Amino acid sequence: MERREFLKGLILPIAAAALPVSPARAGLFQSPIKTNVLRPPGAVPENIFASKCIRCGRCAEVCPYRSIVPRDFLETGVNAGTPLIDVTKVPCYLCMKCVEVCPTGTLRPIAQQETRMGLAVIDRYACMTWQEGEFMLCRTCYNVCPFKEKAIKLDELRPVIIEEYCTGCGLCTHGCPVTLENGKKAVNIEPIYAFGKVRKE
Amino acid sequence: MNDKTRTSKYRPIRFFTLLCATLLIIAVPILNNRFQFTFIQGWYQSISIGNLWFVSPLEGLESILTSRMLYGPLLVGMAIPVLVAFLLGRVFCAWICPISFLSEVTDWLIRILSRKKYRKTRIMFPRRMLWASLVCEIALAMIAGVPIFVFLSPPGLVGRELMMVILFKTVAVEGVIVLAVMTMHLLSPRLFCRHLCPLGGLLGCIGAKRRLYVEFNVENCLKCGICSKACPLALDPKNGQASSAYCWNCGDCIDSCKTEALSFKWREIKVHHENTNP
Repeated sequence: MERREFLKGLILPIAAAALPVSPARAGLFQSPIKTNVLRPPGAVPENIFASKCIRCGRCAEVCPYRSIVPRDFLETGVNAGTPLIDVTKVPCYLCMKCVEVCPTGTLRPIAQQETRMGLAVIDRYACMTWQEGEFMLCRTCYNVCPFKEKAIKLDELRPVIIEEYCTGCGLCTHGCPVTLENGKKAVNIEPIYAFGKVRKE
Repeated sequence: MNDKTRTSKYRPIRFFTLLCATLLIIAVPILNNRFQFTFIQGWYQSISIGNLWFVSPLEGLESILTSRMLYGPLLVGMAIPVLVAFLLGRVFCAWICPISFLSEVTDWLIRILSRKKYRKTRIMFPRRMLWASLVCEIALAMIAGVPIFVFLSPPGLVGRELMMVILFKTVAVEGVIVLAVMTMHLLSPRLFCRHLCPLGGLLGCIGAKRRLYVEFNVENCLKCGICSKACPLALDPKNGQASSAYCWNCGDCIDSCKTEALSFKWREIKVHHENTNP
């Protein structure tokens, strides 16, 4: 492991010197996964995603909603061409077509309800229903959730996420009417499952 | 003997195949975008026709090597391209590759403008560079732990650029590599294909002992040297180079030869009977 890191360290400055500034700053080898920017359903963990994916783009092509968008080298370094879903733009509707077409097993065939792209987390400082004083009624996230009453419930008219069932599809994030200055919503998808170790099957 | 006429035999067919192969990767994303057509999908990194899947051997190999994991469907997808390369050699390069199509079109334009039938090969490196390129590419990918050169493989890149343009109305910056390859082609014909293409290297390597090859018949040869001028890879068929691992079976030398000294042959395996074609 150490040697691999060392060699990566050797290559990185050489590659970064040879290239425009932005990929170096963005992290040539860094995973582009962050809050609300996720991998499609069934994705292998991030530590092997970039090596397993051959960037054939078939998942992006088959996606009927154009949720999956590959990005280029300047934005994502070596992850260029790998599938990404920005749920604030177009969320995943869990049609599960992409997992069927992946030729490399980077997206593994799984059932719809077993998808774990991330976990929806409600920002109680931002969510309208959680504000003190004036109570506002909003249940957009609850209404759009494909697993209503399972993954999301209303507790005294306030949304509560049930971690066990949330697929991280991002429909709630996309629907949320609150947008903060940093582009986040009052409910955001955190990719908490993306950085786990490879599961042996 | 075959009934060879003076006119080109393989060139029109090959150009037609190249044209179809390129139109396919333009038409598929357009049909997909308009009519949700997904029966045919992808491009020459991975393409599927119904349930029949193909995966480019280089990309598949790198995926296996860098992730150190085997995935059955990936191996199955790679099987047909590997088998084709094993039997027919680098035919993908000459008959399908969109870079080849662009090069042929460029050559055709240059031919019209310069009024010369053949382009001169100005830059020539040792041919072994192709293998070195393949080895370096795989080594670098393994050191870095990611198939970096997956997006340096130009045939796949053309397809991805087309998809980006048609589906997402943007271009990916990796497209400059395609431009670089075409610039190299303008400097000297097929410079990238000859010396640098890792995919070509891998296919050539697999097809080193291919069955379909260009046979050279010494008795018919006048040593006019037109075949080596016609060869896009600047090989010398009259010295037997057409049966080397570098040849991609395009058949241009066969078309150029006036005396039928060159022809496609199917190499028979030597079983008990020694009955090869006369």
